[in-house]
Amino acid sequence: MAGSRSPLRRLLQGIWQNKKARAGAILVGFFALVALVGPWLVGDPQSFDALPLSPPSADYWMGTTGQGQDVLAQTVHGSRQTLLVAVIAGLGVVLLGALIGGIAGFFGGWIDDVLGVITNIFLVMPGLPLMVILAAWLPPGPSTMVGVLVATGWAWNARVLRSKVLSLRKADFVQAAVIGGEPALSVLFREILPNMLSLLMTSFIGATIYAIGAQVGLEFIGLGDPSSVTWGTNLYWARNDSALLMGAWWTFVPAGLAIALVGFGLTLLNFGIDEVTNPRLRSEREWQQKLGVPAGHRPETVVVRHD
Amino acid sequence: MIGVLRYAFRRLGFYAIAAWGAITLNFFLPRMMPGDPASTLFGRFEGRMEPEALERLQDLLGYGDGSIFTQYVVYLKSLFQGELGTSIAYFPEPVFNVIRSGMAWTLLLAGTAVVIAFLLGSLLGALAAWNRGGKLDNWAPASFALLGAFPYFWMAMLASYVFAFQLEWFPIRHAYGANVEPGWTWSFFESVITHLFLPALTMVIASLAGWMLMMRSTMIQVLGEKSIRYARARGISERRVFLQYAVRNAILPSLTSFGMALGFVVSGALLTEIIFSYPGEGYLLIQAVQTQDYPLLQGLFLAITLSVLAANFFVDILTAVFDPRTR
Amino acid sequence: MGPVLAALLGTGCVESSELAPPGTLVVSQEQAASWTRNFNPLLPSGTARWAASACIYEPLLIFNTVTQEWVPRLAERFEWVEEGVRLAFKIREGVRWSDGTPFGVEDVLFTFSLIRDVNMLDGGNIWSFIESIEQRDDGWIEVKFQRPYVPGLAQVAHQLIVPKHVFEQVESPETFSNPNPVGTGPFTEILKFNQQVWDLGRNPYYWQAGKPAVEALRFPAFPDNDQANIALIRGEVDWAGNFVPAIDRIYVDRNPEHHHYWFPLISSTIFLYANTEREGLEQTLVRKALSHAIERARVTRVGMYDYTQAASPTGLSFGHKKWIHTELEDSSDWMTYRPEHAVELLEQAGLVQTEADGWVLPSGKAFELEITVPAGWSDWVRSSQVMVQGFRDIGLDVRLVTRDFGAWLHAVQHGEFDLAMGWSQSGVTPYEFFKGLMSTESVQPIGEMSGSNWHRFGSSDADALLTQFEATSDPEDQAAIMDELQGLFVQHAPAIPLFPGPAWGAFNSERFTGFPSEDNPYAVLSPNRPPESLLVLTELEPR
Repeated sequence: MAGSRSPLRRLLQGIWQNKKARAGAILVGFFALVALVGPWLVGDPQSFDALPLSPPSADYWMGTTGQGQDVLAQTVHGSRQTLLVAVIAGLGVVLLGALIGGIAGFFGGWIDDVLGVITNIFLVMPGLPLMVILAAWLPPGPSTMVGVLVATGWAWNARVLRSKVLSLRKADFVQAAVIGGEPALSVLFREILPNMLSLLMTSFIGATIYAIGAQVGLEFIGLGDPSSVTWGTNLYWARNDSALLMGAWWTFVPAGLAIALVGFGLTLLNFGIDEVTNPRLRSEREWQQKLGVPAGHRPETVVVRHD
Repeated sequence: MIGVLRYAFRRLGFYAIAAWGAITLNFFLPRMMPGDPASTLFGRFEGRMEPEALERLQDLLGYGDGSIFTQYVVYLKSLFQGELGTSIAYFPEPVFNVIRSGMAWTLLLAGTAVVIAFLLGSLLGALAAWNRGGKLDNWAPASFALLGAFPYFWMAMLASYVFAFQLEWFPIRHAYGANVEPGWTWSFFESVITHLFLPALTMVIASLAGWMLMMRSTMIQVLGEKSIRYARARGISERRVFLQYAVRNAILPSLTSFGMALGFVVSGALLTEIIFSYPGEGYLLIQAVQTQDYPLLQGLFLAITLSVLAANFFVDILTAVFDPRTR
Repeated sequence: MGPVLAALLGTGCVESSELAPPGTLVVSQEQAASWTRNFNPLLPSGTARWAASACIYEPLLIFNTVTQEWVPRLAERFEWVEEGVRLAFKIREGVRWSDGTPFGVEDVLFTFSLIRDVNMLDGGNIWSFIESIEQRDDGWIEVKFQRPYVPGLAQVAHQLIVPKHVFEQVESPETFSNPNPVGTGPFTEILKFNQQVWDLGRNPYYWQAGKPAVEALRFPAFPDNDQANIALIRGEVDWAGNFVPAIDRIYVDRNPEHHHYWFPLISSTIFLYANTEREGLEQTLVRKALSHAIERARVTRVGMYDYTQAASPTGLSFGHKKWIHTELEDSSDWMTYRPEHAVELLEQAGLVQTEADGWVLPSGKAFELEITVPAGWSDWVRSSQVMVQGFRDIGLDVRLVTRDFGAWLHAVQHGEFDLAMGWSQSGVTPYEFFKGLMSTESVQPIGEMSGSNWHRFGSSDADALLTQFEATSDPEDQAAIMDELQGLFVQHAPAIPLFPGPAWGAFNSERFTGFPSEDNPYAVLSPNRPPESLLVLTELEPR
């Protein structure tokens, strides 16, 4: 199996050959590009120069907001902070989850017990109220957002990564390698890690999807920084200006559609990665994870560790 | 039975720790925020109140005197007496009274949505697995994935705008009509159902995909098991195999997720309530944040968290009774 | 699924089932997720239901902002027995509480002694300037002041009077929620009350014969502006006091015959406060430079939907129009948008514009400022965004910071800010307004709480004028003093006026008539200014 190529390269190549993953990667790549270079191509999202609430036209391709701002400029500028915060929060979630899950899985014993209880506490707590009180307490801004998202999102990853380590230890091919006389370190690096790599990747993508959704939701209810330009605050302002009451769908649709497309792209990507790395499972079970469906919906959560 | 009891005690211990964690977090967070409840209320007078009155207010509402530890003990003590403090925005109403009325509506909304989503999702998932490669199996996951990628509140707002505001098919706010008297009457019941329909529907749509895919995957595993093959070999009707063998076995893991899902569903219900003006805890929570009503905020957080913990505990016990493997 | 389907089939009549019965006026004033049954009129505003101060309880007199006159209520008339020191009210006879008990002088005396004993309930801070209140034998009461204080009339006259026979039995009135109110106002009977909606019926013993004509009031709970607006647009609300964006387009155009609004600019002026304890901002020239860098027409368009206009250079809101010193208003130009002049003023103040650091203070420090605004106050956030653009255009380094309301309030009251948007003091005369802006008495050191003088500006000249004003009830003397105060204000620019606040009010004349409007301005339309709402509620009639 293990050729001369690194597992990462193999994985990336596999992803590109998978139809779903490729479609997802293109979709995500497009928005990443928009976030990177887009802001230089459009006007100032904060200028109030246009006629308020004008429908899409040749001058303003996506119309203007209730305050005469260019919706296109707002959507393009908004992608930058939204995606940046989501990616950083996604990384944070996976790192914290891997740290705690890894320690728990690696050391076992009482450390595992204590960390397990803490993880479970965070898992059963309803996320939104916790996010709301955290976001209300901290000064609004991107760093607060990242902190809140990481604090409320890490537990699921810790659990998955921990149980993955445990299950891999018991897996047939690992057992076979052990019986075959392979040294423990080699087992860990050559058998467990390549398998963890895809899990880390899908966890990261899943966490990013979660971070986009939660971030936008918090900003929508006014817990973000309303003077910044993000997809969430765009929707907050659209609601604030009663845009829908005035039939100004163009202030409302672009941000929602952008969020959905990024989320869908990430989901496809995740699905594809899984098909590539877990050909036997055909990854049906993992669909839920990629959908950003919460912890509770997944069977392992409850069965894994109750004693 | 003894096994179930022992298991129940273990779980109870866990939830007690979780509850203590929530209670403690609840104590420390507001104390790190700027200002205190009394000053906030004082501020509402726009400076027309004598500074001496502030002290009176602080006695009435404030965090009280003493070290943070004594405050913590006092806090725990009053909590056990059901004392959650006095709301600021709804002064002088005790927090308990403000919260009480909304809880039932939140639980009704969340409960209805989670039960319907669970049943419908599981059924669709089972059917998709049963007819693998069929239309449902091919199209449902992808379309649900796309649908699920839209922000939940965004869909709810759109639904409220199109179906309640423009088309007027559904009421646009509240849990029952303004001209209906609450009581055990058909007209009240009908009004409640009518008002529940659209918010619950949006919640079901948002969470259907999860249940469906979970059921589908466990069902596929179950269908691959020997027992199913034996059952078929014995000539048992397909319908019975589907219901009594496959669905029955596949639904257990879903059931165990039920309690956990509740925390998520309650969170979702909070957002729904905001958009549909449903008189549950969701909007109170946002208002409490906006008016800096920390006693109310704390009370809400605690009430929501504790009810989710209780529901989890209940589901744990239920699962343990039905599925000995979990013990 | 049965009931669901049945309910679905019945949805055709959703809208009609939400409409209030004929004769019931639907009011949208407070926004709440859920109603709490609190009718204690002595508690802070926003705590008890609006009706407590708008139609259940009544004051001695009501000041009508539109006509600028005192309207008698529980007092038939008033007079200064000794100017500024002894004030007498003739208490109305033949009034009954809504439970049938006769109302009398003892209720008035009880109310004033109650707010003396429980300071928290003294919202008007009356006992800080009055000494005693006594009964005379002819049905009059006499209030004795500690010092000459003519402006105190407003606080005393507007005190809502509560029934002695109810409140004397209450153990702790500061936490009493008064669930079943007994009042003298036109509407007192709670017909139903639940968290979503409550109805208030007529007072069976109301003292104005034949009034009110409206049978009952209904209050649905709208959690936010959007929901309140939806109800208004759909014709479910008859009288509303909430903010409606682009009201011509979304409300009036839907039913031009019956949908009306009137937003007179009589609420307090909104200011940009500059903390005079901050280096640079202590200079009048710098504050005036900031004022010249603000394009107010744009601020009001973007932030306020053009519902208001640039404030008068005297700072006075149009609610105080008769006090405005018109020559001064015409001759002062410190509010015009002149960015070049702003730059000149900054240079005159000794600031230097450099390539690297932008504007630099004489001390060599960079001149950097923050505008603090409460998060979620979208009109202020928008207005500040426009101002920030203007400041940046002249090279100033100004940043917008939104903070949680409580944190914002704490910061401005304790003087921990550079620039902040804020309201100003309102009152029957501009006395409170100028006291809050310029009196040394209201100045507190940084870090200590100051209710009104957030910007920390005090002038002994202003103190002297305010003391003079306190002692005279002669209209000509009062006007002369106010002219001088306006002169001081324009000279020192203690704070930067932006625009006068509109008094939001909209109505639907489909079911009721008699609402005040620009053509029939007998009172303020906005329900947001109790007790003035009493003047409207007794005039409305069902169609």
